[in-house]
Amino acid sequence: MKAHILVIDDAATVRLYHRKMLTDAGWQVDEAVNGMEALEKAANQALDTPYDLYVCDINMPRMDGYSFVRELRRQGELAQAPVLMVSTEAQAHDASAAQEAGANAYLLKPAKPCELVLTAALLLGDVAAARRAAAAHLALGVPA
Amino acid sequence: MNMSEVLDQFVAESREGLELIGQRLLDVERDPTDTELINDLFRQVHTLKGNSGLFEFEPLERLAHAGEDVLERMRSGLLTITPAIADALLAAMDYAGELLDHIGAHGRLPDVVDGRVQQLADALRAEAGAAAPAAARPAAVATAAATPAAAEAHAPVPDWALALPAELARPGRVALRYEPEPECFFKGDDPLHTVRQTPGLLHLEVHPLAPWPPAAEFDCYRCNLVLLLVSEAPRAYLEEHYRYVPEQVAWHEFQATPAATSAPMPVAGPVPQDEEAKDEAQALMLRRLGQLWNDQRALLQRSGVAAGTVAAVRQTFMNLLQALPGQQAAQQQLAALPAQADALQAWAQQHQPAGTVFRAAEPALTAAGLPLAAVPGRRAGAPTAAEEAGAGTPRLLKVSQDKIDRLMDLIGEMVVAKNALPYLATRAETVFQQRELAREIKTQYSVINRIAEDMQHAIMQVRLLPVGTIFQRFVRLVRDISKRLGKEVELVIEGGDTEADKNVIECLADPLIHIVRNSLDHGLEKPEARVAAGKPACGLLRVSARQDGDRVLIEITDDGAGIDTDKVRAKAAERGLIPADRADALSEQDAVQLVFLPGFSTAQQISDLSGRGVGMDVVRSAVEAIHGSVSLSSVRGQGTTVRLALPLSMAVTNVMMIESAGRRFGVPMNLIVETVRVHADDIHRFKDAQTVVLRGRIVPLRNLNDMLALDEAPRLNADQEHAVLVLRIGSDTIGLLVDEFHGTSDIILKPLEGVLAGITGFAGTALMGDGSVLMILNPKELL
Repeated sequence: MKAHILVIDDAATVRLYHRKMLTDAGWQVDEAVNGMEALEKAANQALDTPYDLYVCDINMPRMDGYSFVRELRRQGELAQAPVLMVSTEAQAHDASAAQEAGANAYLLKPAKPCELVLTAALLLGDVAAARRAAAAHLALGVPA
Repeated sequence: MNMSEVLDQFVAESREGLELIGQRLLDVERDPTDTELINDLFRQVHTLKGNSGLFEFEPLERLAHAGEDVLERMRSGLLTITPAIADALLAAMDYAGELLDHIGAHGRLPDVVDGRVQQLADALRAEAGAAAPAAARPAAVATAAATPAAAEAHAPVPDWALALPAELARPGRVALRYEPEPECFFKGDDPLHTVRQTPGLLHLEVHPLAPWPPAAEFDCYRCNLVLLLVSEAPRAYLEEHYRYVPEQVAWHEFQATPAATSAPMPVAGPVPQDEEAKDEAQALMLRRLGQLWNDQRALLQRSGVAAGTVAAVRQTFMNLLQALPGQQAAQQQLAALPAQADALQAWAQQHQPAGTVFRAAEPALTAAGLPLAAVPGRRAGAPTAAEEAGAGTPRLLKVSQDKIDRLMDLIGEMVVAKNALPYLATRAETVFQQRELAREIKTQYSVINRIAEDMQHAIMQVRLLPVGTIFQRFVRLVRDISKRLGKEVELVIEGGDTEADKNVIECLADPLIHIVRNSLDHGLEKPEARVAAGKPACGLLRVSARQDGDRVLIEITDDGAGIDTDKVRAKAAERGLIPADRADALSEQDAVQLVFLPGFSTAQQISDLSGRGVGMDVVRSAVEAIHGSVSLSSVRGQGTTVRLALPLSMAVTNVMMIESAGRRFGVPMNLIVETVRVHADDIHRFKDAQTVVLRGRIVPLRNLNDMLALDEAPRLNADQEHAVLVLRIGSDTIGLLVDEFHGTSDIILKPLEGVLAGITGFAGTALMGDGSVLMILNPKELL
């Protein structure tokens, strides 16, 4: 049973990029272009296989990331899945606002593939994927 | 799916975005109050910025960032659009379009972009009336991963902390080593700004992490610095200040009893490579897990957390537990808990992962807490199709040194081999009576000669390095030593871009360091002594380089006490290097030269800087080994100057061929002042010594045949003249009586090896064009 992730971003490029990273890690990915669409998809999916994780941008038209998380958390069953915020907003108040809204984790865009996958894997409880991502990160980069 | 698809998507979306930006901008100009329009415009630019960041297209990101700043102010009503702002924004976006076209065509940015990006971004910010501080973007948000402070409290003093000035090491103070990640500038970090704002800052040093590369290879967008600092602020404050970069900071808290030397760390037995990597990956994973764990606890702490959020936190804890071994009990407990913040918080505290600490004041979520990969993710694997398609011709080649050295050897052989042609021409004429052929060979020779010389010159150019590469080491050296000796020194470096052959540069490092140490140790005085002598307390050490013809001149000058010639004379006599009466008879300038004698050292106490018996004599022989010369001048109370004259290159030596007692020898041209013919009657004999007056100077004469133990008198020519080769050796001029001068020749000097290695008086041998071997004299040893 593959983990099921919803990627929410208004930029097609970012959606595609995140989709690639997350599908390569072995998960199933759906996309939404703003918070509104994401809520609809989450509601539709709830009866079938609910999403296990939301990877969400902040600045989007119609409904931004903060509002999406707030709305999501108001709905009982859908609310269980962790939300990972990924945004370029680099100010302290953005991360704080994301937390205020109820996001479980925060990554700065552009997220490195390994960071994204490692964080997602931990939030999903997919240990094998987390190990792979950590190992890949070390193989690529500079061990501290 | 591969990365090139994502890139295509990026180009398509960004093109669309730029078009929309252009349209929206005109709409906004028409109706500057329509916030919806401005929001839309802002979002388009924002998307462009985010997307560019994905691919590390930094110039595009900068352009979009500047636009975003301006639009942000419009959005919040601080700014109303003007035609000038619109123009500037359009100009920036036009250029972004140009860059995008290039990316579309080649899969990467053009090689040269920066000037214009900065210009456009500045113009845009200027139009918006914002001062354009291009450098400092606010640091990325994150909270520090908890560092186990207690564990470090009694750790041995790390090396980097030992290197800090000792007087700073007082209990209660904290030393910090901050090594910004190479890519930090792209994350909006400003390391220098960060450290300058450190609370309680007492002392700051900045060092390069790796030696600075040559300018051609220098990448100014990669951070290559280590910042060391000492602060008296409580550690908690400092941790708060560095919370964005916890993994880039090392700590040391000075203890009441300073650990003298750190005990050697017990080294674990060799671990197989993959095991080690696995452990590291595990550690990395657990570190991130600890951060996420704390993020959840911080979330629970917030007032008025939605019930749904609490449920999500419980789910997240459940998932995180998967990565922690042996947590079935914890899982069962968690599953039984109600979705209540207090209960979850207590549970989370109880099961806090080992090695992590949760501080109640966690301000916000942890942004990426991983050190960035050195290799951008996109280039991690094989190059993408787009990259391959657009691989242009690089403008710089990195060539291994071996290949250059091989070329150098070949060209050296070529230079020697071409010298065979004139002999051939002579033989064609004299042995085979082919005058015409001889002429043609000579003509051909002159062509080959020219090409060989050009080749030699070209390869020399490739091997040239700026001497600054070694000068840079002095900065740290001077700082450390002067601190240790309690002296104040200002180091001035000039002419670091002067170039010399890499071999020369490599051989020069140690002698130069020695000279600089000498200046610091013996030359420059302590501040109080300087003030007493009427000089500024801070000493001046000047290291300068310049090119002079085919030589590089390096001067190391200090304004210290100069060389105490009385001490030098006494010391030299005491060590038996020179009879006392002769020492006293020496002039000031000559007495100074005594320091070059082997086994000389004037240090009152033998410090660790200048040990016994290692001194200027070592410097001199090292410099002479690369055909350089060293001279020393000193004025007591005013300072000392050491001058090094070095050849630009040492691959090919130019020698003059001389004849004596029927044999030919070579003498290096760099020693020869002139060649003269001296009438036998002009030679003055006094006891065994012979002298001749040349240009008003008395020049001692030596007979080469005597020195080589060749039992023949020097020959006279028809005019009763002797051939005299005038040499400069060190600071002496001396005449060498030989039989005859011949021409000069470029040779490759081979040192004497094997059984011949013990022979003194010869620098080496060279293979001549006609196949004969020429012995090259080393007059310095002969005399």
